[in-house]
Formats: sequence, C-alpha cells, structure tokens
Amino acid sequence: MKSLVKFIQIHRSIKQHATRFSLVVVVLLFGLFMEAYMHDFNLVYITLFFVFSLAFSAGPIGVLNLGNLQVKFNKQGRIFSGKETEILFNIENPMTTSSWSITLHSKDNTSTTLPQIKGESSNNVLLPFLAHKRGTFSYGNCYLESKYPLSTARLTKAINEVYEGIVYPQPKGKPLDTFLNEQETHYGEEKEFDGLREYDGSQKISHIHWASVAKGEMSVKVFTKETKIHNLTFSYNKLKGDKESKLSQLCLWVLECEKKRLPFAIELPQKQLNSKKESIDEILEHLAKY
Amino acid sequence: MKFLNTLQNTKFSSLALLDISYIVVLLPLLLMLKIPMLFFVGVIIAILIFKSTPLKSIGILFIFMLGMLALYLSLYGAFSFRGLSRLKLFLELLVYILIIVVAMQRLTREINFYLLISPFLFLALSLFFYYGMLMLIYIIFELFLLLWMILSHRMGGDIKEGFASSMVMFMYSLPWVVVLFIFFPRISFEHANYGFRGETIQRMGHDGTMYLDSNALLVPSERIVMEVGFEKEIPPAHTLYFRGSILYIDKKDHWEGLAINAKRETKPFYATTGLPIKYQVTLYPTQKKWLYALDMPSKNIKNSILDRDLISTVEKSIKEPLHYSANSSLSAKFYDILDEETFKASSTFESDHNPRTYTKAQKLQKSYPDIEKRAKALKHFFKAQNLTYTLKPDALDINHTTDSFLFDTRRGYCVHFASSFVTMARMAGIPARIVTGYKADFINGLKNYLPVKEKDAHAWAELYINDYWVRFEATATASFVEEDNQEVHSSSFLSKEVNLYLMYVKYQVETWILHYSHIRQLQLLEYAKNNPTFVAIFVMSLITLLLLTFVIISYFKRPYYSSKTLATMQALLKRLKKEKYLREDEETLHQYLIRYAYKHPKKTLIYDIDKLYEHIIYANENSKNKQKELKILIKKFLKE
Repeated sequence: MKSLVKFIQIHRSIKQHATRFSLVVVVLLFGLFMEAYMHDFNLVYITLFFVFSLAFSAGPIGVLNLGNLQVKFNKQGRIFSGKETEILFNIENPMTTSSWSITLHSKDNTSTTLPQIKGESSNNVLLPFLAHKRGTFSYGNCYLESKYPLSTARLTKAINEVYEGIVYPQPKGKPLDTFLNEQETHYGEEKEFDGLREYDGSQKISHIHWASVAKGEMSVKVFTKETKIHNLTFSYNKLKGDKESKLSQLCLWVLECEKKRLPFAIELPQKQLNSKKESIDEILEHLAKY
Repeated sequence: MKFLNTLQNTKFSSLALLDISYIVVLLPLLLMLKIPMLFFVGVIIAILIFKSTPLKSIGILFIFMLGMLALYLSLYGAFSFRGLSRLKLFLELLVYILIIVVAMQRLTREINFYLLISPFLFLALSLFFYYGMLMLIYIIFELFLLLWMILSHRMGGDIKEGFASSMVMFMYSLPWVVVLFIFFPRISFEHANYGFRGETIQRMGHDGTMYLDSNALLVPSERIVMEVGFEKEIPPAHTLYFRGSILYIDKKDHWEGLAINAKRETKPFYATTGLPIKYQVTLYPTQKKWLYALDMPSKNIKNSILDRDLISTVEKSIKEPLHYSANSSLSAKFYDILDEETFKASSTFESDHNPRTYTKAQKLQKSYPDIEKRAKALKHFFKAQNLTYTLKPDALDINHTTDSFLFDTRRGYCVHFASSFVTMARMAGIPARIVTGYKADFINGLKNYLPVKEKDAHAWAELYINDYWVRFEATATASFVEEDNQEVHSSSFLSKEVNLYLMYVKYQVETWILHYSHIRQLQLLEYAKNNPTFVAIFVMSLITLLLLTFVIISYFKRPYYSSKTLATMQALLKRLKKEKYLREDEETLHQYLIRYAYKHPKKTLIYDIDKLYEHIIYANENSKNKQKELKILIKKFLKE
C-alpha cells in the first residue's frame, strides 16, 4: 500500500508527452488488431497483446526510472558576468536499481545526457551557464527528461529547486600592479632585498636590475617590505569610465588583492568597504548589487 | 565462457543492435524470398561486411537499381493486376520493397526513424506468411529480442543490463498477455486461409477405394493423420472407429463407393442411440473430401455434409490442416430404412466369382433362418477358417479373392477380412457393406488426447440386421496374428512415452493457443459458470503465474555486486540502514563500520566482521571457509 501511495506521488510529479514512437505503437496496434480481428489469427493476437502490454508496462517502468531521482544544486565557485561558468547539479538515486537514459535540461535549452545513475548513489552534473548581467539571479525551470524504456513517451520531471546566486561584475581593467605603480608615493618602504623577478613592464624603473640587463635578461629587484601597504584604497569616484567599467575594475583589483593577500579598502559613494572588516565575498556581493 | 564474459562487457553500438534486430526479424522472411531477392540481400550483407564507410549517393543509386531488378525478377510473371489482388503476392511485394528501402538506408550507416521502425514492420509482415507452433515460439523470441535490443540501446549498448531489464519488462507484460488472450472478446470470423501451412505433406491411409491386390493401400507409418481431443477421457478402445467412406461395389480386385449419380433416397439420417460424446479433431491434409467422426456421428460437422450412411464430406479436398468439432453417439449400430438402391447395392454379389464361399454361405442361410443368428454363424465360420492376420499376405487369386483368402492363402489384413466378410454376408442373404476409416489405438492416447496414425487405417464390415446397420469387426475373427505386425517401427518404450507427451503438449498448445476461438472462449465461460472447481483452479493458476512473474522480476532486479563478499555484506548494511545509520559520501566501508561500532560499544561483533571483511578483500583470502565464516558472523550480528 505504501509503495502504491509512493508510486502515485511519483507519478504526479512526472509529465508524460507523446513521441513519434507513440504514434508508431498506435498504428502498429491498430494494424495488428485489424489483422487479428478480421482473420481470427491467434499469432497476431498474441503479438498484439504483447505490444500492448509492453507499451502499457513501459509507463510505470519509465516513471520509476525518472521519478525517484532527487536533484539539488551544489554551490560551484564564483560567477562573474560575461564569463562562461557551470552550474553543478547533484542527482541522487535513492532506489536500489539504476536509472538510465536521463537528460538534464536547463531553462535556456542546454542539456546534458547523464550516464547510468547506479542505485543508492549520486552523480554530479555540470550545465554550462553564462550570466550577462551582474547582480542576483535565479536559475530554475530545469527538468529531467527520459524516454526510457521504449521511447514511446517522453517523461519529464521538473526540478522544483531554484538556484539563487550572485553574478559578480566582470573582472576587467588595469592590473593591480599598474595601479600600484601609479600610486608610488603611497607605496610603502623598501627594506630588505628579497631577490629578482622578471620585468613585466609594470614595475618601477628604479627597480630594474641593470646588471641582469647587461647579461641580456631584464630583471627587477624585489624587496620584502615592498608589498606591505597599510593604506591601499580603491576609490570608485577616481576611476574613469561608466558605472559598469568602474565596478569591473574594482572587481579585478579585489580578486588580485585576494590572490596577493593584500588588505584593501574600497570607497564607494556613501559606502566604505574594508577587507579587514568584510570578507572578499561580501565585498564582491556589494559590488554585484551596487 | 571467456567469449561470453567478453560479450557481456562489450558495449554494442546502436547500429550493431539494429543489425541484430534485422537479422532476427528477417530470418523467417528469408525462407520465402525468391532467389534474385536472396542474392540482393547477400550483396547488401557483403557490402556491410567489407565496406566500413558509408556508401556514396552513386552507390546508393546502384543498390536501388539492383534491388528493383531483383524485385522484377522475383515477381516476374506474377506481376499483374490479377496477381496484385492476391493478398499473399501483395504482401510479398511489400516485403521486397521494404528490404530495398532498408538496405539503401542501412548502407548510409546513419540511423533514422524509418530504420528504427522497420524491424516491427518486418515482424508484422512475417505473421502473414507463417503459422504454427514453431512460429509461435519464434514470434515470442522475436518480441523479446526486439525489446532487449531497444533497452540495450537505451542503456548505452549494455546488453547484460539490457537483458535483465527486458526480462523484467517481459515478465511484467506476460500476465496481461495471458489474461487478454483468454478474455479479449473475439468474433466468429473465419480463420484466415493464407499463411504458411507447415503441413503440406499429404496424409494417407484411406482413399475411398479398397484394393485387395498389390495396390492395397498399406501404410504402416507412425505419421499422425489426425489428432482428437475429447472433453473428458478417451472412450473405451473398442469404440474408437473413425468412419470414413462406405464401399458397396465389388470390382473383383477392389471395392468402390456408390456412383455419385446413384438414385438414393435423400432421407435425413436417424439419430443414433448410445453414449453421446463431443470431441475436437485436427485433421491433417489428406487431399480427400472425407471428414472422420467416431461411430456413429450424431450431428452434422460444421461446413460439411452428413449423408444417410453417416459419412461426412466437405466440398473441396482437404489441403490444409482442418479443425472441427464433432458429436457422436458411441454405438456399433444405427437405425436405417433401406431404399431400393441401397438395398440393391448392399446385396449384390457374383456367385461365380467365389463359388466355394457361395456354397458355404447358402448352407448358412438355410441353417439359420434368423438373420441375427446367421450373422453370428458367419463370424464363427470365419473363426473356424484359422485365418492369420498379417501385413505380408500371400497374393490372392484376383478373380476369386474371397475363395482364395478363406480357403487357400488364409492370410491377410483388414481389407481382406472385411471384403470376404461382406461378400459372404451378401451371399448368405444379409445386406452388407464395407466401411473404411481409422481404428485408433487406445495405447497411443494420453489423458484426453488421442493421435490417430496412418497405420491405424482400417476397414470393417456393416451388416444390415433387423433395420439396423451393425458393425462387424471381421479382423477379430483372425485366429493368429503374426508378431512382426504388432510393431512396425521398433522404438524404446521411453522414447515412445516422451514422444507421446511432446505430441500431447503440442496438441494442447495448438488447441488452446493457436486455435483458440470465439467458440472455445464461450465454451470456457460456460464451463466456468457450472464448475466452481475449474474457476478455483483457473484463479490459482493465474496467482501462480503472478508469483512466478514476481520471482523472475525479483531475480533480474536484484542489484549486482562487484564481489561475492560485498554481496554477503549486504544483509548487514541493510540492517544498519534500517537503524537509520547511513553511510556518508566517500566513507569507506571500514570507516562506516568503525563509526557504527563507536556509537554501539556493546556490539563488538562488528569489529570481527570488519576485520574479516578487510582480510578477505585486502589480504586476498577469499576462500570458501572465510566466506562462510563471514556469513556466520553476520548472521550472529543480525540475531543480536
């Protein structure tokens, strides 16, 4: 009884659509029926009943194959505007039997076919996603589809969960080093020599290691205290360009600072952001929603 | 075995699965293809084997032209409007066209919708050409295989998983098929006449004439002429006379029936008294018009004529296996008022042909004025002649056959006995005639099933006594039976028994499946109405079928484990799961068991199980004893 109730619940969560093979089955059944009925051909009757019963039993088998699957979204890194990324789905099969021939469809008609989902296991599936705008977004209206077992019906199961995410501004603009060069006076003290590194055009000319230039290599001197800056501040108002390019620039610097583990502050009109007080994600979120 | 293992693990491409389907559905149709079309199919197969790349447009065009040529040559002569009106030819044409189209499409090595549905069209078409037990088995196999291939395709070419799933699905549908087959309302359209006959060989043993010389139709063959299914058990052995034709006219070397234009009164036959019995007959092609019914038929067989001699005939010679229901009253005699023509025909004899017999017959007539006693005396006379029943009789003097048989050779079989008996009866003033047909052997029967063989062909006499035609078994007057006659084909008792059971199964399948009809459906329902035991047995059978289905489904739905040890561990893992103690992602079995053990310090057995499991898996100690030990430990744990 429990199983029946469960099956009814599962059945309700599934939508069935006819396929062209449904039409084939109907035509085949009609043809066989006419042949069997008109000529009292028991072999045809047997074939007719087998085709009918198989098509009939394909329904519940297909429903159980798809209906038991449970889908949830998994957080998958940061999403930046204009940059192709992927949404991670976790598809769990709580049954003891495998599920076959499942396709995951997104709202924007991208799809991916899943391999066998073994019983009592789960599969992670990635769907490509491209956000065109920064800000919050909802990723929903996804569904699972299957034509298992006979292709006579296309079964779909809507994924009710909606992925609520944030699209950060597209990180682009001047590299942080260029910015730092421009901010030389505020750039801390040079103390202990820490070694040489390849010159990439962004370093101060005074740091060029001329001895290496003589050898044909272009290196610059690096000092340990060089990067220790107490007052690295990015000002929104001082940046050139429109709002989106300013936010993109800030986003790039935030990420570079995170990479270099530099503390920083951002001055937004009517808002101050500080990496010592807020996490990088919170800062990025502010930029996304600004 | 290694090949099977490799096969199991091989992933088949969609084209390979489609090819397997085509091979299976085309196999029966290949048997009916004409040589040019077979050649065309051969060419296609050769191209598919030796050319692994898709054929270009010019190649496809060539194949089309070749196919059309093969079609033209195959149907040359039959290809007219008149020919097309014949369904079989029309279907043959459809098969040919479908083969050409499929070949063209297949050679492109691309799968499209039409290529996918064509196996079903071939299957449906093959049903027009074949009919019989073999086809029944094959069609079920075909349906299963097509299902298997579809599921394997859906499962990415995994034929092992595909097989298990198709078994499950097939078993799901089986009870539906059974119920639908039995109860689906039928109408009484005639069974189609086209289709593969399967039984084209003519059955012999009885042909409406009876020769006494070397032309005598003696067919000591085990081949089945007809199969009879009685409603209950087989009637007693002495009643199993299947009436065929009646012979009146003695032509010295042979006997014949009355001429068609004989002026007999067209009286309806009289109802006979005796035990009423109903039975089903499957008569194989005889190329003759007689239907056979047990002595004495009490009802007209459908679509046949029952004449005043209780002989059933059909309009056209029987060229297909024929199924009919018959009704008889088991009796050795039937009431009849003879008309002049019949009386004359059954009393005519030539005294100078058999003078010695005539003298003896006259004596009998004088000695026994009572006709009944005279007939008995005739029997005694035959017995006194010390006649021998043999299938290898000496040649008779063809101008004096009765004299020759009764007084000289004294050796013969049924035809000689019946002929002499009837001749002498007529000479003794008793109207008499010969009946030819089959005397079925009770020993050949099983339960309610009785096969009648060619060697059962028989002739007996009917004497007209006191307004009744009475059967006389002239052969029974033989004093000796030559032993070698009793078994023409020696075979062991066991093989005979097995053969009989196989025939019985075949008959039951044919009766209840292939020839299940509207009438039989009504009979079944009628029988069920009055027989609650039958209903109970029927319901029990259905429940048994459901249980069997359930068992098979459970077997094929069981999860596969990578090792025996893991399979053994499942009982334990299920218990832990039941206790809502779930295994976490990426947690090893060892970690899982230890985690459980920490939470349940009293259940120390879990450590032993874990230890043994690890030992078996990692120390490769996979002996039978270790497995057994693990099983015992798990059992102990589950009991705790």
